[in-house]
Amino acid sequence: MEFSFALSASKIIHSTGFSDLAGGDIIMMGVACTLIYLAIWKKFEPLLLLPMGFGCLLANLPLSMMASTDSGGLLNFFYQGVTHEILPPIIFMGVGAMTDFGPLLANPTTLLLGAAAQIGVYTTLVGAVFLGFNMKEAAAIGIIGGADGPTSIFIASKLAPHLLAPIAVAAYSYMSLVPLIQPPIMNFFTTEEERKIKMAQLKPISQTVKILFPVVVTIVCCLLLPGVTPLLGMFMLGNLFRESGVTQRLHETTETHLINIMTIMLALSVGSSMTADSFLRFETIKIIVLGLLAFGFATAGGLIFGKLMCKFSGGKINPLIGSAGVSAVPMAARVTQKVGQDADSSNFLLMHAMGPNVAGVIGSAVAAGVFVSLFGDVGTAVDTHAALAPVIGDPEPGAQALATVVDAIKQ
Amino acid sequence: METSVIAAVNVSILAMSVIFIMLTLLIFTIQFLVKLIPYKEPPAAPAKQARASTTGTTGHDDEVAAITATLAAHLGKRPDEFRIVNIQSH
Repeated sequence: MEFSFALSASKIIHSTGFSDLAGGDIIMMGVACTLIYLAIWKKFEPLLLLPMGFGCLLANLPLSMMASTDSGGLLNFFYQGVTHEILPPIIFMGVGAMTDFGPLLANPTTLLLGAAAQIGVYTTLVGAVFLGFNMKEAAAIGIIGGADGPTSIFIASKLAPHLLAPIAVAAYSYMSLVPLIQPPIMNFFTTEEERKIKMAQLKPISQTVKILFPVVVTIVCCLLLPGVTPLLGMFMLGNLFRESGVTQRLHETTETHLINIMTIMLALSVGSSMTADSFLRFETIKIIVLGLLAFGFATAGGLIFGKLMCKFSGGKINPLIGSAGVSAVPMAARVTQKVGQDADSSNFLLMHAMGPNVAGVIGSAVAAGVFVSLFGDVGTAVDTHAALAPVIGDPEPGAQALATVVDAIKQ
Repeated sequence: METSVIAAVNVSILAMSVIFIMLTLLIFTIQFLVKLIPYKEPPAAPAKQARASTTGTTGHDDEVAAITATLAAHLGKRPDEFRIVNIQSH
């Protein structure tokens, strides 16, 4: 092989990323840097936006083989966890391990607020269909209104994988903007007197009820909507680790290290799907706008239902807690507390808002289950072996070699 | 387009009904569970007074330590810069 100076220099120049850099890559690097900026300096969901932004940056470096579509690449391997619906349910298990159902069990009617807030999902579904998306795509976009990142990713990867990146970015961006989006809507839909309503202290709940609740919910909900089992089942398992009192190590691992590792992998995977081809499209702008509407309608739905409950309870329920029905745990509950205290500094709504807040998680999971029942293939699973073949290659020769070695050892 | 929008509205109404039915079912389940297994006060912890009488402390040591730490954090002072002399229970 001949190596002249000019030839070698030319070869090195052509092997750099600069030789393959396109305009779309540069724009996406700008988007990645914006996400990183928002995460670090504006503190917008930093645990997610930082790895997501960096994943996006890596994916858009030409020849780096870090995009989710680059077979054999590192992030392509991580992305299998999204494709095969592994990462979102495990994150849900961690969320379950961190969730206290006490406020919900003490005031179970607040579950209705979690249901009412799902109106955001369905108004967005109608809006998305109106804007030209098909029903599956519209369902995946609509679930942004559930304000639940893992659920959004779960449904998008199942019903509209080509829209995963913009849906994930919209969901997490708006979740981080809950303190900015919700207060004006809350002030618009409630009066000063309503915001000042003080709620009675929650009654304590037996530990046995707290242990039975996740088991009962799993049986009831997963029998009715099997499509929701991966999310809700893992969510309740995490909560059972917490409440059972006999799995302290599992509980601690689930709510800390496991959820952190899965968050890194999920955020990097989603970031790696944000390539110019998949992101720089007119659909992305539509999804961003629809996502904002979804959050707005979800908040309004919860508040209006909260007002109804206030009326029927004889003024015992502060309608502000309805806005916490949008999931986004615990940020939405904190916003309720803040808006309530703005009206009356001696009003403490946080624990009351945690009820609808966790009800929102269940509600959005049920909404996802309905979508899977309607548009997905319930009772079927992805052929993991076939899907992983492009990544790990044909496992047959390896298996044969292993069998030969085993035979040799036996002899 | 119009057909699709009408289909989406139908799906929305159906799905919201399913969500409300499921969560209402859960409300009844919770109410049943709470009624079936009511909360019982845990047995009271042995009084600290006995220990206090033997060691000569006031029995409020833990409370004083917690309040001191909280006040120190709140006031931005060191814990040794102030002293709690009296705690009144209501």
